[in-house]
Formats: sequence, C-alpha cells, structure tokens
Amino acid sequence: MPHRVRSLSYLRVLAFAGLVSGSPVLGSIAVAEELLHQRIDKLIAASAAGDLAARAEDGEFLRRVYLDLAGRIPSVAEARAFLDDMSADKRTTTIDRLLASEEYSTHMAEAFDVMLMERRGEHDEWMKFLQTSFAGNKPWDQLVREILAPDAENEAARGAAFFYTKRLERYGQQDDDMPGLVRDVGRLFLGVDVQCAQCHDHLFIDDYKQEHYQGLYAFVGNATIRTDQPFPAIAEKPLMKEVEFTSVFVQVPKSTGPRLPGGEEIELPLFKAGEEYEVPPDRKTNSPGVLKFSTLKILAEQLPRAENEFFNRNIANRLWWLMMGRGLVDPLDMQHSGNPPSHPELLDLLANQMAAHKFDIKWFLRELALTETYQRSGRLPAEGTVPPATSYRAALEKRMSAEQLLRSVLEATGESTRVREEKEGAPKFKDVADRFNKALANPPKEPELEFAPSVKGALFLSNDTLVLSLLERHEGNLVDRLIKLDEADAVAVELYLSVLTRRPNDEERADVREYLDQNGDRREAALGHLAWALLASTEFCVNH
Amino acid sequence: MATTEELKARFAPNEVQQLTTSRQLHTLRFSPCGKYLFGGGYDAAIHRWAVEGDEPFKELPPIEGHSGWVQPLVFAHEAGLLFTADSWGRISAWNYADEAPEAVWTVADSHDGWVRCLSLSPDGRQLASCGSDRMVRIWSAADGTKQTELSEHADDVYAVAYHPGGEFLVSGDLKGVVKKWEIAAGKSVGEFDASALYKHDRIQDVGGVWRLEFSRDGKTLACAGTAPFGGGTVQGVPSIMLFDFDSGQLEHTMKLGAVKDCYVHDLHLHADGFVIAVTSGTPGSGQLLLQVPGEDAPFFSSTKMSNCHSISLHPDGKRMAVSATNRGSNGNGRQLKDGEYAGNNSPIHIFELVS
Amino acid sequence: MSRSPLCKPWEHTLTRRQLLGAAAGTAGTIGLGGLGGLVQPAVAEEMKQKEKQVLFMWIDGGMSQLESWDPKPNTQFGGPFRAIPTSVPGVHISELLPRSAKQMHHLAIVRSMCTQDNSHSAGVGRIQRGDPKNRGVTYPYFGSAVAKLMGPCERKLPPYVWVKPGSSGFIHQDAGFLGPKYGALAFGDGKPPENLLRPDTVSEADDAARQKLREAANRRYGELRRPLANDANSYVYDMAQTLMRRSDLFDTSQYDPRDVQRYGTHDLGRHTLQGLKMLEAGVRFVKVNSYGWDTHGDNFNGHLSLMDKFDQAFSAVVEDLADRGMLDHVLVIAMSEFGRTPRINGHVGRDHWPEAWSIAMAGTGLKRGVVAGATNDKGTFVDTDEYDIGHMFHTWFRCLDIDAFKVEYDNGGQPLPIAHDDMQPITAVLA
Repeated sequence: MPHRVRSLSYLRVLAFAGLVSGSPVLGSIAVAEELLHQRIDKLIAASAAGDLAARAEDGEFLRRVYLDLAGRIPSVAEARAFLDDMSADKRTTTIDRLLASEEYSTHMAEAFDVMLMERRGEHDEWMKFLQTSFAGNKPWDQLVREILAPDAENEAARGAAFFYTKRLERYGQQDDDMPGLVRDVGRLFLGVDVQCAQCHDHLFIDDYKQEHYQGLYAFVGNATIRTDQPFPAIAEKPLMKEVEFTSVFVQVPKSTGPRLPGGEEIELPLFKAGEEYEVPPDRKTNSPGVLKFSTLKILAEQLPRAENEFFNRNIANRLWWLMMGRGLVDPLDMQHSGNPPSHPELLDLLANQMAAHKFDIKWFLRELALTETYQRSGRLPAEGTVPPATSYRAALEKRMSAEQLLRSVLEATGESTRVREEKEGAPKFKDVADRFNKALANPPKEPELEFAPSVKGALFLSNDTLVLSLLERHEGNLVDRLIKLDEADAVAVELYLSVLTRRPNDEERADVREYLDQNGDRREAALGHLAWALLASTEFCVNH
Repeated sequence: MATTEELKARFAPNEVQQLTTSRQLHTLRFSPCGKYLFGGGYDAAIHRWAVEGDEPFKELPPIEGHSGWVQPLVFAHEAGLLFTADSWGRISAWNYADEAPEAVWTVADSHDGWVRCLSLSPDGRQLASCGSDRMVRIWSAADGTKQTELSEHADDVYAVAYHPGGEFLVSGDLKGVVKKWEIAAGKSVGEFDASALYKHDRIQDVGGVWRLEFSRDGKTLACAGTAPFGGGTVQGVPSIMLFDFDSGQLEHTMKLGAVKDCYVHDLHLHADGFVIAVTSGTPGSGQLLLQVPGEDAPFFSSTKMSNCHSISLHPDGKRMAVSATNRGSNGNGRQLKDGEYAGNNSPIHIFELVS
Repeated sequence: MSRSPLCKPWEHTLTRRQLLGAAAGTAGTIGLGGLGGLVQPAVAEEMKQKEKQVLFMWIDGGMSQLESWDPKPNTQFGGPFRAIPTSVPGVHISELLPRSAKQMHHLAIVRSMCTQDNSHSAGVGRIQRGDPKNRGVTYPYFGSAVAKLMGPCERKLPPYVWVKPGSSGFIHQDAGFLGPKYGALAFGDGKPPENLLRPDTVSEADDAARQKLREAANRRYGELRRPLANDANSYVYDMAQTLMRRSDLFDTSQYDPRDVQRYGTHDLGRHTLQGLKMLEAGVRFVKVNSYGWDTHGDNFNGHLSLMDKFDQAFSAVVEDLADRGMLDHVLVIAMSEFGRTPRINGHVGRDHWPEAWSIAMAGTGLKRGVVAGATNDKGTFVDTDEYDIGHMFHTWFRCLDIDAFKVEYDNGGQPLPIAHDDMQPITAVLA
C-alpha cells in the first residue's frame, strides 16, 4: 500500500498549482477493481462528444505498436505472422513480447535521449545509462535521481551526469548554459517552464514566480564539470549563502535557498570556512570531495518522489504523449493553473497510478497500449468532421524520429541485416544513422514534439545516394525478393506488407500491375520506384 | 637602462587633479611650452586649459571652426603653431598661445573626409597628413601649401609619423600595411607587416594601425592598435608591435590586456625605455599601463578610470594627463536628466608621474 | 546573477488565453490549404492573382540611423561623418551612402521609427513579427506572413527564401502559429541545399514517375485523415521538386562579373545579387541577411566599413530593379531591429536605440524620393508622428494590395488581425 498521507509541502504544491480537481480517484487505488486501461477508456469515452473511430485494423495496430515499443516497423515476416494469427489475444501477446525485447530498451533509450538532451550531443556513457535503465525497467524516480545526483563511482549509471555536463560545457565563445539547465530541470522533470521567471515573475503565467527559477537555481547552480574523468562527471561547490535576486521590474532585492516549485525552502546550514566538506577535495588525486550539504543530493531526494505531484504528472503526461501523440497537458512543459489538462480527472488518475506503481514505466506503457484509445484507427470516424485532437476520438499522427525512420527504412527495404552486420559492400550503420540524423532531426535545443517535415528531408529521401542504394537489388533485400516474384499481385502484396505493414487494396494492386507493365524491360528500376514512392509517402513517414 | 624595479620606484602615477568636461574628447596634448593643455573633441571644438605651476588647470574658451571630430593635435614648438585636423577634411594651423587663437592657415579639403593623423617633420617645415581617402599628403607647415601626395595605400590610412632622422615617413592603414616612404623620392621604399592588427570578420574590416610612434633614437617603430577578435562590437587584445626600423623586422609584440580591452587608443614611448599606453574596449573599460617592452606585465597599471582615450606627458616630464570617459557611459541613456537626453563626457585626470 | 536573461519573446507569448484555447482544442489545428486559412476566400483569390514580390534586407544587430539615413552632422551626437546631397533636392543622407544617394529618387525613407524593444533577443523577433498586440500566439515573421497571405508566385518556387551567411535549413520557427510550412527556406551562404541535384542513377522521367506514384499514395492516405501531416509532407516534396528544377539559381559562376563587382564580392553583395536572381526567377519573398552590426564598440570605423558594403549592394539592387521595371511590383525594405543610441559610449560605440530610427524602402505601392517623419535636431527623439513596426506592417501590406483591415488569419477558428489593430499605414510614403 503506497504512502498516501499528504505532507504539508504536498498541500502547498496543490495550492500553488491549483491543478488537482479534487476527484475521488485520488487515493482510491486499493478499491479499484478495473484495470487502468479500462478506466482510461471510460474517461476518454465520457468526454468524447462525438463518434469514436473504429478499432485500428491489425496492420495499422501492429505498425504503431512496433514503432512505439520497438522503434521500428515490423519486418514483412512479422507482419505476415501477425495478420495470419487468428488468436484472440494476439495484440496483448505482441505488446508483451515487444516490451520484453531488447529493441524496447534501445528505442526507449533513444526516445528519452531525444527528450532529455534535445539533440545537444551524444555520449556513449549516457546512452549506456539509458539503455541499461530501460533494459532493467528502472523506476522513473530512480532514473531521475541518478541524473540529478550522478554518482561517478557507479559505473553503470555514471553516464547520467551527461545531462548536466553537456549543458555546462563551454566551447569557443559559448558560455555554459546554466539558465538552460535550471530551466530544463523544471521542464523535463516537473513539466513547468520557469525560464521567463528568471528575471521577473512570469508576465502571463501567474503561477511561475521568480522564486521558482531562483529556488531551482540554488539547487544546481554550484554544479561544475569534472575534467579529471574521461566520462561525464560533475563536482559541486558548497552553497554558502542564499541566491540573491532582484526583479528587473520592481527592483526589490530578495533571496532564496534551494526550493522546488511549490515546495518548502531548504534552510542552509552554517559551516565555518573550510568545514563544508565531509571529505575535503584533494587536488593531488583530483578528488572533488564530499560535501556535508549537497544541494544536488537534496534535489535528487526531494524532486523525484511520489509526494511531488508535479513529478508524477509530468512523467504520466510525457508517457501519454509518447504513446498517444498529444499531452493531456499541452505544451508538455506548461503545467500551471491557467493551462488545465484536456482531461483533468484522467491526468490525476495516471499520475497517481504511476506513483502507486512505483514509477514502473513498462507497466504504464503496457496499460496505455492496451487501451481502446491507443488501439483506435487514425482514420476519422466520419467524413467532413475533424474531431479535435484533445478528444482522442481517432488516433493522432505522431512524428517519427530520425532513429525510428532509419530503422524503419532499413526494415522496409530488407537491408537491416546487411547494414547492421556491415556485410561487404553495405554502408556502415553509423554513417547511415548520421545522415538520417542530419537530414531529419531538429537542431539542438528544439524539442521534437510534432511532425515537421522539411524540404531538406524531402531532398534527402529523394536524392541521397545512400538512401537510393538501399533500393538497388542486393541479395535478400526487398527489391531482390520482389524481382523473384512473377505475379504483379504477389509483388504488390509483398511490397505493401514490407513497407506499409498492410496488404494493398484493389486500386493499389492495379497501379502496381500497370507500372510494372509499362516498365517491363526494366523491372529492377521500376520496383525501386514503387518502393521509393511508398517510403516517401506520408503513410510511411508518420507514426499513425 | 633602468631596471623595472628602479622604474617602479621612480614612476608611480599619482592623481592630483581632475578636470571635468561637458563633451567627449578624442585627443589630449600638452603644448611644448607646457603652459596649455589642448583637447580635440567630438564636438568639433578644440578645448583648452591654462597650466600654471601646481595651480588647478583653468579652462579657456574653446577654439571653434572645425567640423565633425577633431582628432590630431600636433605642435610646432619654435613656430608656436598648433596643427589640427577634423573628420570633414579640414586642416588648420593656429597661434595657439594667443588669447583667442586664430587660424594662421586652413586647408578646408585636405582630404575627402576624415583626417586621422598629422605628423610634423623634425625640422618643423613639413606637415604630413593621412585620412580615410587612402591618401598621405605633405604640406608646408608654414602656409599649408600641398607639397607631395603619396597614394599607394589601398585602404583608409590611420596613422602617419616622421622618422626622427627626417628622411623617412611611415604611414599605416586599416589592413595593417605600414609603408616606409623616402620623402625626397616621393615613393615607398619598404613595408612593415602589421597585419596582425587587422581582421576581416563577416563583411567588416576590423582594426588597423591606430598609432605610429618612433623611439627617440629612431631605431624602433611602434605600431599600436588591437589584435582583433571580431567585428560588430569590436573586441581584441590591445597590442603594440615593435619593429626594428632599419631591418623592418618585428622585434616584439606587447599584449596589453585581454580581448575585452580592445584598442590601444594612445601611447607614449618614454625616454626611459618604457611605454605609457591607454586602452579602451568592450565590454571592458580599459586601463592605463606603464610597461617595459619584453616584459609580460606592466609595472604600473590602473583600472580606476573608465575607457581612456588619450595620454599626454607634460614637457616637464613630471606630469601626465589622461582623458577617460564618465562612468556609466554605456546603455541607452533613456533616463533623461532634467528632461534632457544626456551625452557622455571625458573627465581629464592629471597625474604626478614621478614619485 | 550576471547571466544574460533567457527570456525569449516567443515564450512570453504563451498566454493563458492560448493555453486555454489549446486545451479546448482550437489552437494547433491549423488550416493548411495555401490560402484556406483566410477568413474571406474571395479576397484571397484576388490576391493570388498578383505577382507582387518582396526583397527584405535584414541588417542584424542594428544599423546606426545617424551613420545612414538620418545624419545629424556637426551636432553633439552626430559623429565624425558628413551628410551629402542626394538625387532628390533637399534630402541629405550620410556620406557613408554615396551610391544610395544617387538612387534616392527611388527611395522612401521613414525617419520617425519609434519601437518598443531595446534588446536583440526581443527586437529581432518582435520587429519581424510586426509586434502585434498580444493575442496569445506567436505571430509569423513578415516573410511567413507574405508566404501565407500571397502564396508562391505562379512559377511555384518556395514563397519565402532566406539567403544568409552560415548554415542552411528550413527555418520553421519564422512561421509562428501559421504552421511550419510557412517557414523560411534558408540557403546558407547562398549555396544550394544538400541533395538538390538528382543523382545520375535517376533520370528526369524516372523521377517524375516515382513522384507521381508518391502523390497517388498520399492521395489515398489522405482520405479520411486529418489533413495536417499529409498536406505538410506533400508540400515539402512539391517544393523540393521545384527547387530541383531551378538548381541554376545557385550557380553563381554564371553571373555577369560586372554585376558581381557592382554588388560587391563580399557576402552581402553576393547574397543580394542572388536575391535579385531569386526574385527574377519568381520567389515571392526574398530575405537577405547581414550579421554583425551590433557596434557597441568602435561604431564609427565599424560603420565606415559596414556601410560601404551595404551601400554597394543596396544601391545596386535598387538600380537594377528600377532598370528592369521591377520596382513596379517588388517592394524593397532595408532595416534592423532598432537604431543605435545618439550618445556615444566610452568604447566609441553606440548602444541600442529603438526610440528614434530609420527604415529605407523602395518599390511597389510607395512614393519615390520621399522622406517621412523627422527626429529632433540632435537626433535623440522623434519630432513628428512616431511610427511603430505595426505601422510598417500596415504600410507593407497596403503596398502588396493586402487590406489589413479586411484580411485576417484564421487560427483554428480564432480570427487574428494580420497587423496591429491600433495602427494604420503611413500615408506619407504610400503612392
């Protein structure tokens, strides 16, 4: 039974946020008889105010769940097996199989890298940290704790420091991005963007006070990069006094110690100069020492915990966004009383359940994947009306990351094995990945939240020689398989199953036949064109 | 040569007086008679102060007649003349010791635009000028008649200086080209490479040879400016490049601060072998330095003054004037003073140089 | 803390109203038809017929009005430079613009700009977005606005192209709430985008064939789908195709060497000449960018060098547009995010001054050879009616035959004015 007593500071959080609806779902875990995914569907249906889209067809579902849980589209064999499978529970078993796969942890590591680092840069130790975390289904609170107070002694988790070090890096004339770090701690772990409250209370959002920025700053402001280690690592200087600040508007000097938004200010202990350390730093060994009062450790204790409603809601909202294509609070980092969630009761439920289940990400994603909401078709329920995105009446189209696109292109073209195993004549996986990233990822610090196609991306998929080389015939790849099929109809089926995870309709079969007939003397090229057209199509380029 | 320790003991500037101005000055110079201090202003005026013993300097009415900015101030001691030039192309010679000095001669359009520098030949007969029209011209100091025109520079010419021997003239431009002219032949006979004082950044030409000074023996040529870092808000390391005049070899480059300190605005090569320089830059506010060439650090420096632009040694060798900028000169100045939009000004600091 | 403030204008614009709107499902669903977002379709159709174009020269960092269009020679803040006469009797501009002075009879100068933002971070965005009253949304940059309101020209080149130093890319942020497809297609250093050229392995006919297949696939996918993603994806491919057909635009080796010399061999000259070629090819809105004008230090030598390059490029393009008769349908605008302080700081620089500055324009819809507005004798403040950037947006829209009082944006059902609704066009410069 989880701890449900609200602490004083928790009440403060609620008062600050004005967010909690006072719904009876709070604290009702023990009596819940329905499973979470059923309760989600009820709440969505209750406020749908219109027709719901049909259940997604098997192919549509399979493509989506592979992209969301394995980071790629299914192979043609996987697609065929699933479509031909007559068992009633095949969706649930597929979800469970994918959640248990290695690809799940790779995909989640990539997705959270994009979310938490926002394309600032790469580091093997950081990816190792994420990968092992998701492979072991590390609870979210623990994962965040390891990021907020990185432990250089813990080899498996020390890469977590990259979250800090990359933002504190200086290069050329570029100063470190401490304000960005403070902001990102709030945005990414609490769903609040206190940036504009750095210099004055937020102009438009009453909830965001300058104290919130400065209070967060007091936690992380003394972090510095350790240069004595080959891996990302940070040191921390003692916080000797409160952070002083003045609003640029009212010019009244104020100060604050470390303080979470809505939380209590933490009193600073007084140490005599020279007595701040439990273990003093040692220049000879480059040891940064151990502080008696480490604000990073306190941050790591206080921020990621069930009593912090912002923390719970943020991760529930972000995982919901990841699966459903839109946050219940949107934008994701704008949780405040003026921006209520589209489904307040649902967000409360999700946040509480997440905390009650000890921040078990896999369990949570599984529940979401099992919902009818998730398994609905993206095809609109009726002609002429476009249901609001907030209604979840039809599945929303999601952006495919550069990583998802890369893996899916390799899968669709049947080149995955050849490239991944770097067979002779095959391009190196890293090179292909770099090219996809360059053409399709956002620039640094721009969150990748929605589908935003670009001319650059279109030119890349149209003309990049490496992309086009995947559509040339190599043993066992898509074009090779297609060439070996005599019947145009069989070609169409293999092509559509391979690229779009569905069988073609009559019109599509006819088009394939016609194009092949027109190009009877140059079959390989014609098959390449047919495959390219599907790869460049919207149906392939978005996760729908 | 005195050691640095000895220099340090002898030269320890001590501020004794401060003069206020209502306008900004470009250049500050004591007259060779020691009785006057002149300042060329951004207000087209030549500001004047009377100097009498240890008395407070007494401001005299300014000399009017120029336009734009008055930048160079050069004296002919024996002739009792002050030569001045402005950014609109005018050069004038004044009987500076008169109560109300009048122009002895004027060339209204000596250059097309900004006259950056003047230099008087050692014999006092010729005045050299240079400007933004890329020209170096030589005038009769007595009546302003043009004598020679030297037109080989491809860029704005910032500085010009006669060699103490009188046979050569040097001129330095925006791109760091310093030309050595044989005056009698009217042609350049060599170049010094001060291109370290220049950088092309984006579409901007940054830096240039801002000052040229010879040591008294004529063996060393100092080229001052900045080693630019970038344009826009210009930044760079204040630098003085010291060349052996005969060989043209660079002997040493003095780095007088950080990137934020930017330009050496003015300098004086002291007879005792050290350099007095003032710097001013963004976002720093420069300093006053006394430094021996070849040494890494100044033996005296002061950051008490903000953005110093000129320095002049009194002929008695004991006093020194430095023009600086009022504090808080940055920013938009939107806060009006008595309903007026306030400009900046150049406080003048008078130092006892010798302890 | 001494760190620079992080506030960015577009983040300040997220207001409760938008967020409430978003929560209710209104914001974010943006009509993506070329002109479908306009309230009055009839007006939209009418505008679509016009082939008016824009050349927008953005002088990033802040050109000094005193060293350019509004000199105050021989005054306290006037600086070292002279004023010179122009081809319009009685009108004087800085001596740093000798070539432009000869084109003054084509120009319309506004000397009474008085805008709100004193920092680059706020100014660059707010000025280019027209600083409309806060409606809780991020407004589009002028280029994105024109791309939305007028669409591509008939030749179907991208409507909003940005020739700039540095990197290339698709700058979707410019579009604000209009949605990413109205962003700027940026050509870094005027170079063609990567992968512009069709590889030899794909013939022109093959390319056409495969694109046709792709279009058919998208058509089928689009049935009973939300239009947003499919429209956007189809759109970027259309644009990529058009660009591929006009790869000659990037072949600067074909330019007349005399033009290259006249415009200047520096970035700004080359990019401006390329901008002219883009206009000739049929790009609706060309933005040419120069960076590095923030002369807090060494302002006068800085302007001496910078203005020379600007003068060269600007005068050449105005002259060429006039010679080709293109000023009749091309609007030329040269401006910064603000002017520079009258007072000269200790670094011999000028700081930021939105209170009184100038914009230079030429071309369609404008009077020729006029100066509107004036600053006081010292150049410190505006002495006549003050014009904010909203007035300029009204003026420019009028020049482009867009009635800013009739045409509105439709942001998912929320009607939004295209220019500040308390401001009007500046009649003094309108033809």
